[in-house]
Parts: sequence; structure tokens; C-alpha cells
Amino acid sequence: MTYLLKKSEVNQTLRAWTSKAHVYAPQKVQKYAQFLPVGEDFELSVEEPHNTRFPPKALFLPQSETLLKYNPQKRELESAKTPDQPRIIFGIRPCDAKAVTLLDSVFSSEDNPDPFWQARRDQSVLVGLGCDQPCATCFCTSVESGPFDRSGLDAILTDLGDTYAVEPLTERGVSLFENLTVASAETTQTIQAIQEKATREMPIAFGREGLKAHLDELFENEIWEDFAKSCLGCGICTFLCPTCFCFDIVDEVRKSTRERNWDTCMFKVYSIEASGHNPRPSRRERTRQRLMHKYSYWLDHTGQTGCTGCGRCVRYCPVGLDIRAMVRKSVATPSEVPHVD
Amino acid sequence: MTELENRILAEAQRLLSENLADVVIAFKQADTPLRPQPAFFTDAEAVNDLVYNGLCQNNLANYLTRYPREKKIAMVVRGCESRSVNALVLENQHPRENLYLIGIPCEGIVDWRKIVEAVGEDVLSVQDQADIVVVRTPKGEFTLDRAALMHGSCLRCTQKNPLGTDVTIGKPVAEQDPHLLRERVKNFEALGIQTRYEYFRQESERCIRCYACREACPMCYCEECFVDHTGPRWTESGVTPAGMQGWHIIRAFHQTGRCTSCGACERACPMDIHMTYLTDKLNTDMYDKYQFVAGLDAKTQTPFAAFNLDDKNRFVAGGTSK
Repeated sequence: MTYLLKKSEVNQTLRAWTSKAHVYAPQKVQKYAQFLPVGEDFELSVEEPHNTRFPPKALFLPQSETLLKYNPQKRELESAKTPDQPRIIFGIRPCDAKAVTLLDSVFSSEDNPDPFWQARRDQSVLVGLGCDQPCATCFCTSVESGPFDRSGLDAILTDLGDTYAVEPLTERGVSLFENLTVASAETTQTIQAIQEKATREMPIAFGREGLKAHLDELFENEIWEDFAKSCLGCGICTFLCPTCFCFDIVDEVRKSTRERNWDTCMFKVYSIEASGHNPRPSRRERTRQRLMHKYSYWLDHTGQTGCTGCGRCVRYCPVGLDIRAMVRKSVATPSEVPHVD
Repeated sequence: MTELENRILAEAQRLLSENLADVVIAFKQADTPLRPQPAFFTDAEAVNDLVYNGLCQNNLANYLTRYPREKKIAMVVRGCESRSVNALVLENQHPRENLYLIGIPCEGIVDWRKIVEAVGEDVLSVQDQADIVVVRTPKGEFTLDRAALMHGSCLRCTQKNPLGTDVTIGKPVAEQDPHLLRERVKNFEALGIQTRYEYFRQESERCIRCYACREACPMCYCEECFVDHTGPRWTESGVTPAGMQGWHIIRAFHQTGRCTSCGACERACPMDIHMTYLTDKLNTDMYDKYQFVAGLDAKTQTPFAAFNLDDKNRFVAGGTSK
């Protein structure tokens, strides 16, 4: 069943939800949108065709998080409380929601789930906003996803001008949107047409067939040296990436806490070992790691590409390094590994 | 290609074919329209995708420290870049005789953020023309006033014409009033302590510690940054107020007498953080107290790195003051 939600009623809907859950939605911080808690006074920022600058993965894996604390009075360690508040995340783009499901394979493994991640996942309802106008930097259809990918979502919205079409996808999604007008069969067809058009019109950034095997063969190729030349080695691409999940665990001695902070393979200190040896000593190896992890190693581990085509790394790279162009260049580079049949 | 680009290209080709340079560092057009990419040409035949326009936002002097001293580097430099090169030569990061500076009088860098603010983030192409910038987006074509798009650091620039170059391409441009930088500092200082702290708090609060500011800065070339030290640990590691404020304050202080106000740090920042007011303040202090301006030449030692036995301060053996 598809329902209709008037845009003029979105704010009051979100406000009503706050009585039963923490509600998060994109709002303006300075000049860009970021997921923030919905309070009494808030201004929704979902009209831009692109996703928020800072990725909503932070709602599940905060950039810094206390894991445990030492209590000097009792002389004991106390685990940080796992979050127990229900949450509704409104307006998440399909690429970002899909990224959360990819990260489940890291943090929600059956035998050893991360309690903090798991608690937040269990407590969260995700209301997605499909992309009827994908950006020039978006490439979700090139990486097993699409502008109306339903992965990880409890409901998906389609922009119809002054109304959103609401398609609940799970029971939790259904319970959020009770008492709404049901869309007519004609409207349902319009929605489908919008979704198909957006998907169809996105250009394919690169072909995936044989990509992993080819990249693996390029491991020692000098192409990485070429990419690394202009790369600054900053953390923008990985920190803004919705699927990058690397972290570092640090004991903050002065605060008597153990913290988990995002970390990134783009930093030299990320891979340096206690002996001083660094297996990724230069930007060549580090640039290679980012691309290979997404388009090769993820496939080894989960069978899925570790990129959802959100385009943030493309939009915000200060030196204009475009991961799509990097993949295309890799594809165009012949492998030097001899093939023996 | 513009006439200016043709002339830079010809010079780059000449330098490479006559073996006067091992590498020419300039810009090429990348796949994303808002960001030309730093380019490293080593083959005279392959310089054809060179570009030069107002969107070339990086300070190319940043790449100088990646090369061994014996490499002959040719580099496109604008005013700020030429000052950064001077500051790096002064700090023994590359011998001047192995550098060939292709100077370009600078019309100011176009701030991509101001384009995005005007037309949205989805940009298909950008054309930097003399007084206007033409931006094509899915919503249509926009013609923007170039002067209104100038990056903040360029609005206050005191050195548009490159210094100490080996060749200069293009006509010299008029320099701006050097007090523009001081004006900004003065205006900020007049705000009062609460407002000033609130500004600093809000700016640093958005930091995601990606260190793009550090990596974009030619003067941040330490093998190990203080923020990565674990013993002693100088700042908190996380995105906490103490951690983020500590980072920005200490980074600014490390730039004293070294920063050339190029603004590359702000242009690289993914979260629109403005911190150059701190380095601008330090720069005006360096001038007021020591009459020193970083990077005007490659010989005058920066005051905090100058040691001599006649130092007027008493902590130096043989110092003259009591």
C-alpha cells in the first residue's frame, strides 16, 4: 500500500513522533545539511537533491564514543551504557541506508556483535527519501544499488512536489504512517514511473564485471603511484564515506576512559606498527588500500561491493580525485600478471 | 585553452624537453568540474591537459617536500605559493637552485563553496572568465560575478604577484591595500572575549579531525604531527571540545612566522571551518613585534627560528639583557 503525506504536514508528523522516540532529520548546520535531533524548533533541509555532507553512519557509529570508564572511587571498570532509546531517522538517502546494512556485516555478526552498534540498530526506524534527481556525482546504480534502493529502510518516500508518497516496507514502517490517505492506483503508477526514470537515467560510471579480479592483478601496478601523486592524504574521503568503518581504540588516561574514534587508512599513523615498521609506508599503498578495500576486499568478505555510490568522496576531495575515474583508469590499465590457462 | 594556459604549457614543455626540470607541477582538469587537480608533468609530450583558472585552489608548494633535494622541480606559483616556496627554501626543504618558478600574477581564487551556495551542489561545468564565472547545472546556466566568489584569503591578499620567480607569465596585477588583513584582525578583536570564544567554539565544534587543513598546508610537513604523538599526548584524541580546540590552537601556533595566509587550509576543509583568523592574527603580531612577513624572501630567518649570541633575551648565553 502507498500513502500520501503532505509536505506541509511533515514537520508536525516529526514533532508528533518525538513523543515516542528520538527523531533525527537533515537540518542546516551553517550552509550544509546534517542529521540532527528534531526539537521544538527545527528547519528540515531535504530539498537539496544530494545527501547530507556528514554521513548518517555517525548515528550508529559515532565518530568518538566512550566504551568504558574507570571509576577511581570503586576502583573498577564500568562499561558504558548501550543506548536504549527508540529512534526514528527521517530523510536518509537510499545510499546511506544501504551503507548501514553493509556495516551490519562488520558490527552485527551473529557470533560477536558490537553491543553499541547493535543497540542503535535495533532501536532505529529508517524512513528513506528516494532520489528523483540524482546528482552528477552520484553513481549508486554502478554499485549494485539505485536511487530508490530499499535496503535497510522501513519506509521510502518519493517526492511528488507538494506531497511525499510513502511506501512502508516493514511493520515498523507501517506503524509510523497510520491514518494517511491511500494513494490512488494512478498515483502509484506515477510513483513507479518517477522511480524507474531516475534509475534509468543515471549513467553507469564503470562496469563491474571482472573488476575485482582485474584490480587484484593491478596490486603492484604503478597506477597507484599516479593516483597518490596529488592525494593529500587527508581523511575527507573516508570520514565522509558511509561505509568506511575503521576505528582506533584509545585510552584517554586523564579522563579515565577508553574511547573508540574513527580512524582512516589514508593516515600514515593508521598502519604504523609498534616496531616502527609501516606496511603502507607511502600514499601509494594507502590510496590503493581505500579503492581495493571497497571494490575487492569487501567482496572477499561479504560478496558485496563496499561502496554505495553516494558521491561524497567525489564532491569533497580537495584535489578533485574522483574514485569513479580511478576505477575507470584501473580498468583501462592492462594487467601485467601473465594469464596461464 | 586560454592564451595564459598556452603560454604556461609552452614553458612547461620547454623546461621538460630541455631537461631544465624533472617535473613540472601545475594543474590539470580533473573529472569533477569544481576541482582542477594538481598535476605532475614529466614528459613534454604529455602536458596537453594542463589547465589554469580561478578554481585551481590548492597551494602547489605543498608538494615540494615530497621530492628529494636533487630533483629539479618547476612549479606554477602565484603570489602566496611563491611566498610558501620561499618559506620552505628558508627551512631547507629544497635547494633554490633546483627550483624553477613559473610565476603567474593572481586574479584571486574562486571559492567553490560560494558557487555551491549560489547554485547548489550539483554542478556540471564551470567556466572562469575575466569578470564572470559561468556555471552549468541541471537546473540551468548561471552567470555569477567573479568578484563575489573570491575566496576570503584572496580578498585580503597582500601579495598577488609572485616573488622571486624564474619567469613570469601574464601581466602584473595591482596589489591590494596591505591593511585588509589587519582590518580583519582588528574587527575580530573588537568583538569582545565572549563573542570571540563563541566563534572559536562553533568553528572547532564542526571539525571532524580529517586533517585536510594540515595536509593541504605547505608548511605542515612534519614527519610526525603533534596530534599523532601518543607519548606525551598533546590533545585529546576524539571529537571532543578539548580535542578539537586543542588541535586548531596548536596548529595555528605552529604556523607563527611561517604562514603565508594562502587559505589552502580553509579551502580544503569539508566542514566549512574558518580558522585563518588565528593565523592572520599571528601574522600581524609577527609584523608588529618583529617587522617580519613570512616568505618575502628565502633568506631572512623567521624570528622564532633565529638564534644568535647577541639575542637581546637573557636565556641565550652571552645575551645582553638582564
